[in-house]
Amino acid sequence: MENIKNILNKFDMEYVEDYKPTWVKAKLKNKEDILNVVKALKKEGVKTCSTISPTDFIDENKIEVNYFLEDLFNKRNVWLKVDIPRELENCEIDSITPLMPSADWHELEAYSTFGVKFKGHPNLRYFLISRDYYGKFPFRKDFDWKEHEKNLMQNIAEITEEYFDEYEEYEENVGHDGSRTVLNWGPTHPASGPIRLKVYTNGENVEKIDPDIGYVWRALEHLAERKDFIGTIVAVERICFMDNPNPMICYSQAVEEIAGKEITEFAKYMRVILGETGRIASHLISLGGFFGTMGLQTFSMWCLDIREYFLDVLEDYSGARIATACIEPGGVRYPLNDYKAWFESINKAIKKFEDTKDDITDIFMKNPLMNTRAKGNGVFTLDDVAKYYLAGPIARASGAKIDVRIDEPYAAYDKLEMDYVTCENGDARDRLYIIFKELQQAMDLIKQAMAKIEEGISEGEMDPKKDHLIKMPKRMPAGEAVARVEWARGEMLMHLVTQEKATSPYRLKLKAPSVNHTMVLDKLLKGKTLSDIPLLYGSMHICQGDLDR
Amino acid sequence: MFFDIIEKVVRVTKALKEPRIATKDVTHEKMHHSPIFRGKHEIRYDICTGCEACAKICPVDAIVMEPLPIKRPKALPEVNLGVCIFCGLCEDVCPTKPQKAIKLSGGTFEMITDGKDEAIKEYWVKPEVPEEWIQKKKKEEEEKARKKAEMLAKKKAETEAKKKAEEAKAKEDKPANVENKSEAAEGDTK
Ligand code: SF4
Ligand code: SF4
Repeated sequence: MENIKNILNKFDMEYVEDYKPTWVKAKLKNKEDILNVVKALKKEGVKTCSTISPTDFIDENKIEVNYFLEDLFNKRNVWLKVDIPRELENCEIDSITPLMPSADWHELEAYSTFGVKFKGHPNLRYFLISRDYYGKFPFRKDFDWKEHEKNLMQNIAEITEEYFDEYEEYEENVGHDGSRTVLNWGPTHPASGPIRLKVYTNGENVEKIDPDIGYVWRALEHLAERKDFIGTIVAVERICFMDNPNPMICYSQAVEEIAGKEITEFAKYMRVILGETGRIASHLISLGGFFGTMGLQTFSMWCLDIREYFLDVLEDYSGARIATACIEPGGVRYPLNDYKAWFESINKAIKKFEDTKDDITDIFMKNPLMNTRAKGNGVFTLDDVAKYYLAGPIARASGAKIDVRIDEPYAAYDKLEMDYVTCENGDARDRLYIIFKELQQAMDLIKQAMAKIEEGISEGEMDPKKDHLIKMPKRMPAGEAVARVEWARGEMLMHLVTQEKATSPYRLKLKAPSVNHTMVLDKLLKGKTLSDIPLLYGSMHICQGDLDR
Repeated sequence: MFFDIIEKVVRVTKALKEPRIATKDVTHEKMHHSPIFRGKHEIRYDICTGCEACAKICPVDAIVMEPLPIKRPKALPEVNLGVCIFCGLCEDVCPTKPQKAIKLSGGTFEMITDGKDEAIKEYWVKPEVPEEWIQKKKKEEEEKARKKAEMLAKKKAETEAKKKAEEAKAKEDKPANVENKSEAAEGDTK
């Protein structure tokens, strides 16, 4: 930490200060210095860029760019800020992508939504947003949504037109002789989800992958600004339907930090249980999806069957199965009127999994076909993890000891016994095994949390009917906060900015791991064959909801 | 090895005996029923105060306040189910006690429409307010208004009477004052 501070202090900084145990927060005075700062930090070991989040301060006529840089293995993180002018001609800064490849798509996103030009980016282009937003920068505060929505139908027609143009262009470029072609893998492929991989192939060999994303871009970051602080939970929970509670935990933490409130012990343990249930629901889909993309649907059905029981748990608590809206700033949303019955249904779900576990191991984890295809295929090394910021299970499959639950404990994770779950090889098979291992860890955590709650209740320290929520102020003070959680697919980071007496967020940046996992597809699949695409794609556990947001 | 095979056979036979949950007809019998399931809204016109809190918090603006010809509640919420995301925030903020005037509960497979445009336009929860109730409320309000008016009139009359009395008193006092003054004046001259 001291080293990092010394490095930062060498440059012209407005301030350098500690922020949480694992972060240093600093503000750079001159944007010209950014490359040198990042270079120096990289030498020190801060090799990864988590995300880049511009904030549009329209009243002060400036855009503040926030860099979140991480040293994944030593848990030292830097939050670097720098102001740049707001006018479109001057709104530019040097690109850090040549130094940190993990920043690539995050810079493109900042460019497309805020118009921050990154000088020296290898391929600066509009990205993620649909064509009708090109050059208009929808997340700027002065973007006129009403005006934009007037031409909706016409815009859609134009987008279709352009798609056909693109298709014809490929036909012409590639020609009909030889074996080169451009395949559209998705968005209607059974394994793809709403994403289109433009696969440049030569015969069966993949030469290049160019993901076309943005099919489910809902501008969630902007939606959050239109809602009040409680209503925002319904926007953040829609990042991805698979792991529903964790984004709300992340957002609530940010709000609580700004408001300066501490939630009750009971609520903390409840967040563990709900968060882990969400993780299980998501991992079961990942697990089944891995085989589903390989063409074996039986296991998907098995997993969905087990998942139903965990969704029952969520339903019993919150009244909804998928979009639960069960966590809000100040704690968890509902009291636990009959905690025994609820724990009963959790135990039932865990038992359902335990009963099936042996069969899963025998039939699927040792499956010879899967082993032949996935073993040693698509390997990521630890260097790749730091270079592209592969997060969560993908990183841990390569043996990286990264887990926000342990590195920066939130909710009640610091009071539970847990360790990093890792595999060694980092191939596609390990990315399947890690999911299976984490499922068991999650159930173990739930059991521990249940025991703690029971203990607390019997000792009279917790009241499940009253302790669930503390009172939050209606209006927030001005401030900003960064919150992180270990989401099912990796680190989720939220950057929340509020203004004095605000009733709704001024800016909410959502960082989700699938962006980086999609970014590396080209590297992962180059030189492989067409039949590897579903397998390796499935092994990355990508969800388009959090890819596009 | 042999043991392994036996074990597998046993497991398979066991699995065959398991109830086939996947073949349950969920359109007639629910797989799982949570008493707090967040389904279709129930709106109680008789306890709603028309405070609009639910319409204000709704994150997707699914609630429209439909005006009533009476003063309290002056409007009742109507929910557009085609827009609603069943978050339950409206229930959370509703201030009526002990029962909530707007509540999410129940909900069956019948909530599914055929998905056509017209069907979705018709897809609303509207509280059915009986005409008699409105008439009754109206009468009550009229009664109240009349009583209030009467009260006001009475009060007005009272205050006026008071005023008059005071004025009269003041008039009576005045001459006395004058006398006093003249007395004082007289005293001065003396
Ligand atoms: S449940 Fe949520 S979306 Fe539906 S009407 Fe109530 S507040 Fe609005
Ligand atoms: S339903 Fe509840 S919140 Fe909505 S107007 Fe009536 S009393 Fe107010």
